Order: sequence, then structure tokens, then C-alpha cells
Amino acid sequence: MPKALSSIINIAKYTIADEVRQRSFIIMFFISVIFVFLIRGCYQGNYMVNGRELEAEAIVGTVSKITFHIIAVVVMLIAALLSMRVFKRDRDEGMQSCIFSKPITRMQYVTGKIFGLWVLSSFFMFILHAIIFLTVFIKLNVVMPGYLAASLLCSFNLLFVVTAVLLLSLMMPDIVAFLCVLGIGIVSFVADGIFAISHSPMAQSMIQQSGSQSELTGRKIVYYLWPKLSGTQHFASSFVGASDGFQGFVYIYPLINVIIYCLILGALLFWRFRNEDII
Amino acid sequence: MIELNAVTKRYGSLAAVDNVSFSVKAGEYFALLGPNGAGKTTIVKMLLDFTQPTSGSLSINGLSSTNAASRVSVGYLAENYHIPPYLSGWQYLQRCAELLNINRSEALEQCRRIVESIGMQGSEHTKAGTYSKGMIQRFGLGAALMGNPKLLILDEPVSGLDPIGIREIRQLLESLKKQGMTIFLNSHLLSEVEKICDNAAIINHGKLLVKDKISALVKEGDSLEDVFVRYVKG
Repeated sequence: MPKALSSIINIAKYTIADEVRQRSFIIMFFISVIFVFLIRGCYQGNYMVNGRELEAEAIVGTVSKITFHIIAVVVMLIAALLSMRVFKRDRDEGMQSCIFSKPITRMQYVTGKIFGLWVLSSFFMFILHAIIFLTVFIKLNVVMPGYLAASLLCSFNLLFVVTAVLLLSLMMPDIVAFLCVLGIGIVSFVADGIFAISHSPMAQSMIQQSGSQSELTGRKIVYYLWPKLSGTQHFASSFVGASDGFQGFVYIYPLINVIIYCLILGALLFWRFRNEDII
Repeated sequence: MIELNAVTKRYGSLAAVDNVSFSVKAGEYFALLGPNGAGKTTIVKMLLDFTQPTSGSLSINGLSSTNAASRVSVGYLAENYHIPPYLSGWQYLQRCAELLNINRSEALEQCRRIVESIGMQGSEHTKAGTYSKGMIQRFGLGAALMGNPKLLILDEPVSGLDPIGIREIRQLLESLKKQGMTIFLNSHLLSEVEKICDNAAIINHGKLLVKDKISALVKEGDSLEDVFVRYVKG
């Protein structure tokens, strides 16, 4: 294995080991697992609507999508919490000076940190999604391979969160970095909600009557350029239940948007960390 | 082995290191002396690329300090060393071995040998959170010795050690010198420096005041402390 790659893997390994050792991580993990286990009661298969019992497939599709979104959002928050103190802890515990006194470049260190946090948070999310997958299989005998694939797709959102928090934590206090990324996420979800409402037939007719098309165009630009965390999550969740199939570029755009943001933030993080003084 | 060419480091208007040039040859036991805030640690940090010089250049083994390869055979012990409290000294040394890409069996052998040489047998599997400052400093020195470096950069290596510990570390450093290791030492303990170093440089307010052999600096009837005070007080 090339030395550069082995250094990155070692740093990623230490990042994961150091996070998993934290009591707060263990508590967060067990609370999340308990909550997901509690959801199993939703898959009873005896829902009645207007006196008619719903089919298992319909229950699986709806409940699974809801749990998919809840888990994805919660793990994004956890990923942000895990990332916000990583550099500070390494600095305070002397690991940065230990690592950089060895022939390890800053790029290898930062890559190892991003990779470690990304793998850890993706694994965290995958386990929670896998519990739902197994619950559905055991309770209703329904197999949803798309559910696990959707979980993996959603991990790009976690990469965005990890990279953004790491970058911002170099420029501002950790908690502020966390809140900024939380804000980006909230705006993304709210913007998607507004966009969905504004595309409803009722809203469309109201817009045509008031003639405020130009203002909407401005909003559209912001909507498309803003990190599309919510959009990526919706794109991933389309693998969970019945989907309308591939709908062209717009369908996959949120994922491309998030990947481009990850690349930009990663480049900024490398550039910023290159000039960082090691204490 | 080490070259500093007209190195300056400024923090705003303050020159922490001001146009310093000197070199340290292979096999030399070199001490960088100066009062607190003189710029000693800044020079070490620039050597290890922890911080970039405002101007000038530094090199180790002919390689620019900005090149990670220059640190291939360098061991470093920081002042006020820290070890993550949840790791034992042994785990920490193993991490250092892995970071140097030393294979598992060789790493185990080196860890065993280092623990013995720093006199920490029996404490190596205890969590670092329970270590005293002196014990952390010893493991820090152990980490610096991992991978059999050719150059040791030590920033206050005996800080926090009791007199017996200081003596043991001095004996260890003397044995390393006999093996041909180059040692770059930052220290306040002038009596220790006088006993073990070949050459010394004195800096104050970021400026290099003198660099010479200890034997040339310390005249008969003087001590290194007298020389140091004379240069620093001007």
C-alpha cells in the first residue's frame, strides 16, 4: 500500500477510534438505536382507513419513507456534533504536533479526518436504516433493498456536513460552526418546502394572477444554488418506495449539487488548513 | 543536517525571529538557549513546518522544511507534551509506530525497547490520564525515539522531571549521542546543557547573539550561566 494512503487510513482509523471512545458518542448511539427500535410498533400491518384495512405494502412505503427522513436528519445533526470539536481536541491532546512531526502532510491529515468522520457517521446511519430494513422484513416479510441503497446515497449529505463543520471550526468557535451548518440545513429544507408549495396548482394560479414572476425567478436561483441537502435526501428516498423512474437532470441535480459543494468545501478546507499554525 | 538562512517570523509588527541564520552538523549536540519569549520554540516550529517563516528558508538534510520528507528521520519532543488521556503509553507509542509505517512486529520490538530505555516498565499499560507530567514527558521522549531517528529535536525535554529523572534522561541522551544521533535541544537548564552539549547558540528578542562551541563560550572560571546572562543582558 502506498505510504500516503496508509497514513490517511491510519488517521481515519484514529479519528473513528477516538470518537467511538467518547461517552457522548456511545450515549447518542444507544439512544438512537432505542428510538429506532420503538418505531417497530408502526409496522403492525393493521391500519384501518375509512373502515378498510390498508395493505402492508402501503404501510411499508409510507412509514419507511418517514423513518428514512427522520434518521437521515438526526444523523446529520450527530455528524455535525462529532465534527465540530475534532481539530480542537487533536490540538489540545497533542495529537496534531505528534502527527505533523512525522512525515505526514497536512493534506493527508485533513483527508484522514474527513474520511474517518464520514465513514463513522455513514456507518451510524446505515445501522439505524438497517434496523428499519430488518424490522420490515421480520414484521411484514417485505424486502426493501432500495432502503439500504438510499442510506448509502444519503451519506453524501453527511460528507457535506462533516466538511462544512470542519472548515467552519477553523474560522469560528466550534458551536458557532455547528449552528451555521444547522442553519444551512434548515434553509435547505425550508426552501425545498416552499418550492414544493409554490409548484402546487393552487399556488401557480395565484402567482399568475398576482404577476410576481420575476421575484420568483430570483428565489429560484437561490433555490438551485443553495446546498440541496433536502433534495438529496428526497432523491435518495425515491429508492425506498415506488418511484416514477428517472426524470432527467432535475431528478439527480440535488446529488450533483451536494457533491460539487463537498469538492469546493474540501478544497477550501485544505487551503485553510495549509496555513494553520500547529500548536 | 539543519540549515537556517535569514529566517524571520513576524506576528504583526512583532518579530519573534529576526533574520536568524545558523547550521547544525550531523552528529552535533546543539543547544539553542534564550530567555522566555526569545523565539526558540518558534524556530523549532518553523523547522517542523508547524508554522511558516515570514521570510528566509529552513532545511533538514538538504530538504526544505515545508517538504514532509524532511521529517522522515526526525524525532520531536514538544514542551508541555500531551498524550490523549484515554490512551495508555503503550498504545500511544504504537500509534507513533503506525504513523511511521513501521511493520507490526518491528513496532512491538521498538515499543518494548523504548519503554525500557525511558524507564517506564510497569506503567506502559496505564491510561495517560493518570500519568504525572514527568511520565508524560518520558513517553513523549519515547515517541520521539520511535523509528530510530537520526535527528532529535527536543523542546525543554526535562521540564517536569525530578532530579533523578533529569539524570536518567541525560544519560539516555548521552548514549544516543554516542550512537551518532544529532540532537537539537531547547533548554533553560544551563547546567545540563553545559554538561552534555558540544555547541550552543544564544538568542534574545528573536535575534541570534552568538553561536559557538561550549568550550569556546565558557572561559575558565566562568559558567554557561554567566555567559548566558552576559549576552542576554547585553
